[in-house]
Amino acid sequence: MAKAAESSGEPGTTSPRPLMRDLKAVGKKFMHVLYPRKSNTLLRDWDLWGPLILCVTLALMLQRSSVDSEKDGGPQFAEVFVIVWFGAVTITLNSKLLGGNISFFQSLCVLGYCILPLTVAMLVCRLVLLAEQGPINFMVRLFVVIVMFTWSIVASTAFLADSQPPNRKALAIYPVFLFYFVISWMILTFTPQ
Amino acid sequence: MKQALVDDTEDVSLDFGNEEELAFRKAKIRHPLATFFHLFFRVSAIVTYVCCDWFSRSFVGCFVTVLLLLSFDFWSVKNVTGRLLVGLRWWNHIDEDGKGRWIFEARKASPQHSVATEAEARIFWLGLVICPLIWTVFFFSTLFSLKLEWLALVIAGISLQAANLYGYILCKMGGERDIGKITASFLSQMVFQTVSY
Repeated sequence: MAKAAESSGEPGTTSPRPLMRDLKAVGKKFMHVLYPRKSNTLLRDWDLWGPLILCVTLALMLQRSSVDSEKDGGPQFAEVFVIVWFGAVTITLNSKLLGGNISFFQSLCVLGYCILPLTVAMLVCRLVLLAEQGPINFMVRLFVVIVMFTWSIVASTAFLADSQPPNRKALAIYPVFLFYFVISWMILTFTPQ
Repeated sequence: MKQALVDDTEDVSLDFGNEEELAFRKAKIRHPLATFFHLFFRVSAIVTYVCCDWFSRSFVGCFVTVLLLLSFDFWSVKNVTGRLLVGLRWWNHIDEDGKGRWIFEARKASPQHSVATEAEARIFWLGLVICPLIWTVFFFSTLFSLKLEWLALVIAGISLQAANLYGYILCKMGGERDIGKITASFLSQMVFQTVSY
């Protein structure tokens, strides 16, 4: 697995502007999540920067503003973090145990990037919550969350399904369903104080 | 005859445009910016984590700041400072059939210039080794003082820093997989350097 080689022309990580290269790769993957097609860009060229950005953004948006500044949503922030990363790791382990041929980091990459629709849903919900509360408000948010939840599931299944053994696809996909369901639930039940 | 004359004068460089290169080769620290940033992000992350109570009482602000610093540190050490300071690099390559493998490379020292100056290499490795150890200390102190909301951050810190450490150690090891030999040669080198001062 680890091979020490001394190749000089290998197009590894030394490009003249590694920062731009990495930023462009992250942006390209975001586009692939928004318009999911059967491609393996997310798998071939994985990175975990996108998931980190999305996780931090989601955790920041799920903050409750409280009066006491010392306990300003501390537990909720770390909670979101733990749920996202621990959930993604658990799903990856599950799929590997079922015999999927996808590497650990590739799976984390796909799961993390497919949180993008739900992050957009969170943004929309926060904006909608600025208007007056009521059943219509709730219905709008419910609709948005359901649509984005479906989008996330579709996107991640498009990328992950191929790597699972054929008779185990449902077993491998249902934890993904559960994962995005929990995140959607957190988004839907969010109310700023 | 003529060949011998040419050989004789080959070592003497009368090309005055090469003065810069000469100064570069002789400098103790060839990449001052890279050296600075190698240490800056790691040390700021640790300092911010320790002193966050003095700056602001916001848990979220401190968490996000330390996480950002750790991420910048990870990116810069992996992509920039390792390559510039010690000529090592490592990455993950995915083949055509989707199999991933890790590649670790060390730049061959050419006769023109050595890969790394001593000062740079020492700064690089000291920074690389000491910081994960400090984060491990934080892990235990957080665990035993039961400030569990910080545990997520400390674990993130340990993972990011240990990943770089592990990657570069594997680069350095090259084909040598016997870790006992590596440790022995490293320790003897350290002892030799200390004694010769």
